[in-house]
Amino acid sequence: MSLLELKNVSKIYGELKALDNVNIHVDQGEWVAIMGPSGSGKSTMMNIIGCMDKPTKGEVLLDGVDISKESSKRLTDIRRDKIGLIFQQFHMVNYLTAVENVMVSQYYHSMPDEKEALEALERVGLRERARHLPSQLSGGEQQRVCVARALINHPELILADEPTGNLDEANENIVLDLFAQLHKEGTTLIVVTHDPEVAEAAQRTIVLEHGKVAREVINENFGK
Amino acid sequence: MTKRRMFLRMITASLLRRRSRMLIALLSIGIGATILAGLVTIYVDVPRQMGAQFRSYGANMLLLPKEDAELNSETLAEALKAIPEDALVGAAPYRYVRLDMTSRQQSFTAAGTDFEQITKTSPYFSIEGEYPERTRQVLVGKEIADTIGVKLGSTMELTYQPTAKSGDQTPEESRVPNATLSGSAEGFGGGVVYVTARLDREGKIASLSVDASTQTPEYGGQVPEDETYLNQFIGKALPLTQGQDVDAFTGATVTSAAVVDALNKATASAAPVQPKTLNFTVTGILTTGGEEESYVFLSLSDIEIMTGSDQLDVAELSVSAGAEQLEAYVNQITESSASVQARLVKRVARSEASVLEKLTALVFLVTLVVLLLTMICVSTTMMAVVSERRREIGLRKALGASDGSIRAEFLGEGLFLGLLGGVMGAILGFVFAQVVSVNVFGSSITFQPLLLPAAIIVSMAIAAASCLLPIKRAVAIDPAIVLKGE
Repeated sequence: MSLLELKNVSKIYGELKALDNVNIHVDQGEWVAIMGPSGSGKSTMMNIIGCMDKPTKGEVLLDGVDISKESSKRLTDIRRDKIGLIFQQFHMVNYLTAVENVMVSQYYHSMPDEKEALEALERVGLRERARHLPSQLSGGEQQRVCVARALINHPELILADEPTGNLDEANENIVLDLFAQLHKEGTTLIVVTHDPEVAEAAQRTIVLEHGKVAREVINENFGK
Repeated sequence: MTKRRMFLRMITASLLRRRSRMLIALLSIGIGATILAGLVTIYVDVPRQMGAQFRSYGANMLLLPKEDAELNSETLAEALKAIPEDALVGAAPYRYVRLDMTSRQQSFTAAGTDFEQITKTSPYFSIEGEYPERTRQVLVGKEIADTIGVKLGSTMELTYQPTAKSGDQTPEESRVPNATLSGSAEGFGGGVVYVTARLDREGKIASLSVDASTQTPEYGGQVPEDETYLNQFIGKALPLTQGQDVDAFTGATVTSAAVVDALNKATASAAPVQPKTLNFTVTGILTTGGEEESYVFLSLSDIEIMTGSDQLDVAELSVSAGAEQLEAYVNQITESSASVQARLVKRVARSEASVLEKLTALVFLVTLVVLLLTMICVSTTMMAVVSERRREIGLRKALGASDGSIRAEFLGEGLFLGLLGGVMGAILGFVFAQVVSVNVFGSSITFQPLLLPAAIIVSMAIAAASCLLPIKRAVAIDPAIVLKGE
């Protein structure tokens, strides 16, 4: 069953077609990588999937609901309820501790629950760093906090934008292991990257070029 | 954990862990609130402060006797009841008389007064030496002191020369103790008989002389010589009735009737009181730059001894009140008192009111400007805060924060800053006002208990108002900025 479906989606900025009649679908529980050089439309697609932008044309079905025509207020609600976001730059609230950063996500979603937030940190191996401010954490640790923050509200879809772009290899592996774990638990993952290694960790890679889907590659080695 | 607790936790964390930036915002609110609270305190206190200041420029109300009535210590005290004690700074009674200094052949205006009250109504009096504290002491105006060459400690012999009472007095009015009365009446054959009688301390006849030179020498002409006849008048009070109080002179019934008639019609012709001379010691020399320098000032009781009267000419009042209230006191006194009328010293009362008005308007204006500046300052700081936190705001929105949440968070931070700034402002503002008050007005001020809540409410309102534009900016931030991997 598909969780996400883009039907004939175009995003046009004046003359520029950032996305040109794109059709993709992502099944529930699937782990998909989106690759492509810069300017290929990755970011635009990410914005649209992440409910932060609307396509000029076409339909975007998320969990069966067409989000392409929703108001930005509705989009905020949908993003909050269904999507967990992970960013290249980590993006933590710099004056809040690790656990508080996780709780911010709970706060906007439903109810802050410190115990649950600590459990999420435990899961990414940062239980004992919970009271540290972002400035006291390494990049890898910060990204792990962001993973904890993304999964705290049990989203249908985790959308990661270059999650390992600023990490060394060791930390990259930790994050990818976490993704694998989430995948095993049935979470749908979409990872936008230009790192082939990261893409190879996914089940399927969609390659974008000039705003179009150039090809889709099934990772034969997945899970091995 | 509830949402509210998380909200507070985020706001306090934002303020406490981002100290430097928030300190600037807090400082701008705090300083604004300080100046505002200070100005408001002064604003509230100015009328009182200035009132006290103005009172040092002299009396602003006069009490005078009404026509045909007398102002004395009793009627004065009665009239003063109209003015509340705390509003009445002082009330100095004055009695003006001419006194002679025979040894120098000089004569001055002397003012009998209450020196303790003078220090209150005329604090600008500059004294070399001391105010008289006892009777027989005198304060001499500089001009007189220079003219006659008296110094501190000199003695002055001052004489009160009673002026002869006018003939307008009725015979009844003239019959006062120690008075000398003279009168005349038609006697035998149309001739006029003159009498002069001196009264004793009880107002009874002490001595009597008769001029009957127009009468028949053998009969009526004998009257002035007959001691038995004259002695019967001694010790009697006027008016008299012949045949009842006194007997007629044998053989001169008409003449003796004329004597009685003349006595009954007699009026004071000479001074009722003898010139009175007292010795005074000069305790102080007065410089005012005004006409007071040509007066001598003595105690009221000395004047009373010299003139034999406790009458007052005027009382100068220094009343601490606004123009309208002063007017009300004036009317109340003039209406309620039978013998005293009140008048404003318009020059003083008016200039007080206008200076006060201008001063309060000035403080008000400055307050407005400070308010505006504070808002601009806080707004700019919050604006900087918003652009500094663009990424964080974008992140919060990406995490699902609604526009309402973003507004609430920034407003919450603003209000929290306002609260802290308000408390700081109320406390420092009072200190500021106190310093200004002590340095400018030379007196301390009382803490207005309402100042604390007022300062907090006002600075929270300013903070909130200053946050409106920055919040608008914050809400407009696109959450997608967090995705661009810059």
